[in-house]
Amino acid sequence: MIQLKTMLNCIDNSGAAVVECVQVLKKKRPATVGDRIVVVVQKQRSFGSDSTGNSGIANKVRRGDIRHAVVVRARKEMQRPDGSLVRFDDNACVLINKAGEPIGTRMNGVVATELRGRQWSKILSLAPMHV
Amino acid sequence: MANSSSILQQLGCVRSLFTTTTSRSTTLQTPMVGRRMLSTVYSAKPDPIPFPKGLPDQFYSQIPKRMRPDLAPKKLKIVPPPPAPQCKDAVAAVTQAQLKTLDPSGKRMRLFDYRRYARSVKPGDIIRVTFKNGDPFAGLVLSIKLRGADTSVLLRNQLTRVGVEMSVKVFSPNVESVEIVQRSEKRKRRARLYYMRQPRHDMGSVENLVTNYLRQKRALAGKKDRGNKKR
Repeated sequence: MIQLKTMLNCIDNSGAAVVECVQVLKKKRPATVGDRIVVVVQKQRSFGSDSTGNSGIANKVRRGDIRHAVVVRARKEMQRPDGSLVRFDDNACVLINKAGEPIGTRMNGVVATELRGRQWSKILSLAPMHV
Repeated sequence: MANSSSILQQLGCVRSLFTTTTSRSTTLQTPMVGRRMLSTVYSAKPDPIPFPKGLPDQFYSQIPKRMRPDLAPKKLKIVPPPPAPQCKDAVAAVTQAQLKTLDPSGKRMRLFDYRRYARSVKPGDIIRVTFKNGDPFAGLVLSIKLRGADTSVLLRNQLTRVGVEMSVKVFSPNVESVEIVQRSEKRKRRARLYYMRQPRHDMGSVENLVTNYLRQKRALAGKKDRGNKKR
C-alpha cells in the first residue's frame, strides 16, 4: 500500500536512506512489491559510515533528488498463488534509473520473491536473501 | 342468541334478514367487539352461482371477462418441495473429502489440530516448513487458523533484521514437510500471539535455533548413514 507521501527505506548503496513516494507508475492503486514508483530522496546516508571509507563511491543521489524506484518489501501482506501470505515489517525500495537498472551496486536486506516474475531478477540476484 | 341478534339488526341490513338462522347461529357466536356498524354483521360468503351450461357461443362475449369460464385465472402450479438432502452437513462432507486427498494419513491434521491433539503445534512454538521448491521458512507460530482444508499457520521470523511474516496453508501440496524446532516452555495464555510483533515482545530471529536444531538432527541422522549431508 505505497502511495503518495509514503516514506520508504532505501536498501541499496546509492546513498539514499529514506525516500518519499510521489507517484505510482502504471497503476491506479497503491503500489506493492514489484511496482515502479517515483520517489524523492528525503534522507541521505551519512558520509561517515559508508562513503568516506571508500571515497571513490560517493553518494550517487542527494537529498531532494527525484528518482525512480522499485518496491521490494511492503508492509501490506500479499498473496502467493498457493494461498500463502507474506508480509514484511517495513516498506522498502531500490532506486533505479529510467532504463530500469539499479543505481546502487549492493543491497542489504531481504526482498520478496515476487520480483522475479516482474523483470526485476537483477535486483533479486543482488539481494542477500529473498523470501 | 338468534333472538337477541335480530333485535340488533335494523331494517337496513336486508340481506342478513334473508339468511337462514341455522347458518347464522354459528357465525354470530363470535363476539362483535370493536365493530361499529350494524351493517357489518358477518354473513357467510355465498356460494358462487354455477355457470349455466349449454350457453350459445354468441353470448360469451356479453359476459364480463372475469366471469367467463374460459378466461378464469389459471390454477397456480404448486411445486412439491425438493427431497431431503442426502447428507446433513454438506460442507463438512466436502471438507472430509478434500482432506482425504490432501492428507490421507491424517498426520498433518494431528500436527496442527491443537484443540484435539495435545502433541500438536501450538502458538509460541517454532516450526520449520519446507516447500516443494526447496526453500524452507522457519518462524515462531503466532496463530493457527483451523479451517478444515484451508487450515493455515502464521509464522514470524526476522531475516536481515527485518520482520517477515508468512501465513502458510498447511494442507497445501506445496508444503513438503513441517518440523517442530522448539516447543514453547510455557503454555501461552493467548491463542493469537499478535503482541509478539511489538518490539518489546519480539523474539527476534529464530535462525540460530533452527541451525542448531538442524545440526543436531544431522548428527542424529549421521549415526545411521554418513555422507548424507545437506548444505
